[in-house]
Amino acid sequence: MKILIADDDAQSRRLLEQTLERAGYEVTAVVDGRHAVESLSQPDAPRLALLDWMMPELDGPGVCRAIRKHREQSYVYMILLTSKESKEDIVEGLESGADDYLVKPFDAEELKARLRTGERILHLENRLVEAREHMRFKATHDPLTSLWNRGVIMDLMGRELVRSQREHGCTAVILGDLDHFKNVNDTHGHLVGDQVLREVARRLLLSVRSYDFVGRYGGEEFLTLLNNCPPASALVRAEEIRKAICARPIQTDAGPLGVTISLGVLLSSDWGHRPADELLREADAALYAAKTAGRNCVMQTKPEELRQRVPTPQPAGE
Amino acid sequence: MNKANRSTESASVNLSELLARVDHDRALLCELLSIFKREFPDQLASLQKAVAGNDAAQAARISHMLKGMLANLAVTKAADSASRLERLARAGEIASLGDALAGFEKEVQGLLPEMESYMAGARP
Repeated sequence: MKILIADDDAQSRRLLEQTLERAGYEVTAVVDGRHAVESLSQPDAPRLALLDWMMPELDGPGVCRAIRKHREQSYVYMILLTSKESKEDIVEGLESGADDYLVKPFDAEELKARLRTGERILHLENRLVEAREHMRFKATHDPLTSLWNRGVIMDLMGRELVRSQREHGCTAVILGDLDHFKNVNDTHGHLVGDQVLREVARRLLLSVRSYDFVGRYGGEEFLTLLNNCPPASALVRAEEIRKAICARPIQTDAGPLGVTISLGVLLSSDWGHRPADELLREADAALYAAKTAGRNCVMQTKPEELRQRVPTPQPAGE
Repeated sequence: MNKANRSTESASVNLSELLARVDHDRALLCELLSIFKREFPDQLASLQKAVAGNDAAQAARISHMLKGMLANLAVTKAADSASRLERLARAGEIASLGDALAGFEKEVQGLLPEMESYMAGARP
């Protein structure tokens, strides 16, 4: 485990360094408080720190206060080393954000025992953060496909529409629906249906950029948002998505299954100030048009004044 | 460690405590002693200057540092003496600093030769 030592006395520093290296720690040693804050603020910084109380530039309690200000970073367990023994000093040290203190000259066994306490606390924090992240993921993602869930993709759509309008950009909204998916479920059962949905989700993610959003909108419906999408390329990108789904059969427990998707597309720049749910209805209408046109194709919807529902040059399937 | 053991009779250093502190690592002991030998004279000179110049803040800072260095090496009495200097300096008792410094100087007199002999004994 990594540990930081901050002490302006070379001798103390060396003694601590040697004691801790022997105990299996990976030691970083610095000579004052300012360097301690710098070192503890780096990515992948040590999360255990032994700080001398009195140091030039910034003292131990000053380092504690500076580190505790950055709440977003991982918890750092800090022990003050002090030859101060009065209660007022100890209270000041602990109130600055230190977790513990040790009176110098330190006893090696006591030091190691106190560091083990620190490690227990850090371990506990890691488990709490992991649990929180797990809950956050579950609350925002679809459990089957791990795509954004309906609530989140709708929020993202609202946010992206506002952003693209503010920046005079364009977001392409693509609503997709698997063709004849009910047949897959009816013929091969829901487990095979789930395998298809998972593979479709994977292919959708692979066919967009890392900063685009893909969500599961309903059973076999997927909502994709292409951010900062030049209007001229939106249909090409939608075609790429369509092809990515039907390019090759999906391997399932029932054998390889050919799957296609129909897509309804709209460009936010065509629609001015409209709420997300209204635009979604329009995208749904375009999707319906794609289904009517024979499925496995892309249809775009435009407002009345810009001519409605322009078909892509190549509808229908591979 | 024969030489080192012999010198405990007149020693200011609590050798058994010191050896325990370095976990009987003679190389580390040598290293700590040489750091002390290198830094102590300058710190002592700075302390003398601060006391002569009635600079209580600086005297407190340096005596604190010396206290830590001496305590690390188990030079217990001298560490106590440095601690007294630090207390007086912090309390701003400038008039008492001269005597306290003289007491401290007496404690550390002969310390460096004593360290030398430990180093000679401790060298692997």
